[in-house]
Amino acid sequence: MHTLSLSRFSRRSFAAAVGLSALTLANISQAATPAELMAGYTAQSGSPAVVARGQQFFTTRHGREWSCSTCHGAVPTQAGKHASTGKSIQALAPAVNLERFTDSAKTEKWFRRNCNDVLGRECSAAEKADVLAWLLTLKP
Amino acid sequence: MNMASASPDNKSGQSAETRKILVWDIPIRVFHWLMAGCFAGAWLTAESESLRLLHVTLGYTMCGLVAFRIVWGILGTRYARFSTFVRGPKAVARYVGSMLRGQPEHHIGHNPAGALAIVALLGLTLVVTGSGWANYNDIAGKWLEKTHAAAANVMLAVVIVHILGVLVSSWLHAENLVGAMIKGRKPGRPEDGIRSAWRSVAVLMLAAVVGFWWLQWQDAPTGDGFGDFQTISMKFRDDDRDED
Repeated sequence: MHTLSLSRFSRRSFAAAVGLSALTLANISQAATPAELMAGYTAQSGSPAVVARGQQFFTTRHGREWSCSTCHGAVPTQAGKHASTGKSIQALAPAVNLERFTDSAKTEKWFRRNCNDVLGRECSAAEKADVLAWLLTLKP
Repeated sequence: MNMASASPDNKSGQSAETRKILVWDIPIRVFHWLMAGCFAGAWLTAESESLRLLHVTLGYTMCGLVAFRIVWGILGTRYARFSTFVRGPKAVARYVGSMLRGQPEHHIGHNPAGALAIVALLGLTLVVTGSGWANYNDIAGKWLEKTHAAAANVMLAVVIVHILGVLVSSWLHAENLVGAMIKGRKPGRPEDGIRSAWRSVAVLMLAAVVGFWWLQWQDAPTGDGFGDFQTISMKFRDDDRDED
């Protein structure tokens, strides 16, 4: 009787442990630091990121109504304002907002959405690396 | 079988006295086409930030429309009421079976399969707009974003099945169901028709929707925050100037 309940307990805790580790693994696979993400984009593009090019890219328009800075501000160490909804957008610079660029899936999702609004296409790995390199130089 | 003049209809016993009767009141028809338009618009603006306010506005409109539809499903005219068309799985299976045999049962109001699509779409709308509202207000995390997208995808699938069902049923019954949802009339016996089209309720609903859109428009940062529309209208203005 005792052993039975024990084994049942251990089986359940084993299952819980498996589930938990699977969950943790899933989190680990997406968690990253901004520097890691930048390194990834740089490796993808095959050439080193250029900080000045990132700033230029971020603050100028690309044939459409908006630039990145339209919503994020020219110096995104401060909160921005959504140009369509007027909602506040938290600062983009990782030095100010520790949550930024720590989740590869989220980063990819927002690059995809926003590049589509600003350029009408997805951004290249080189463009992402440049922007991220510039953002990483910004201090509060 | 489809030649109504040559053969007696399978169930409703259409006879010489059959003529076009009013089945769908105006609130139902306005609701239907507003829902269709809002869903299409929200779908097309889903991937855009510049059209985000438009996307959100269309979603909230759908939520309000469904709230109205639920009330109208209790208080409305005969064929609008849930009690007259929501049926169990057996009735749905029987109807789909009759449809597959090429001899669908005839229903003046919603058929059981159509009713299922309606209930699914109403429920999905609440899931999609509820999760969308929560996302827009940064209430929950990634799982809710996924719920929003997944429910919207399921909704699109139901819409497609609904449209196919309407086309197949229209063809099998030799009856224009799309036209019926526009004009409100279907062939039937006079005593089966509804008495009032409830134009007043439809006008109130439409006024509420347009009023809400106007408010959203006013609240937008630039006075017209529907993004690209501003760009488009500015371009037109520029074009006008060039012509001068």
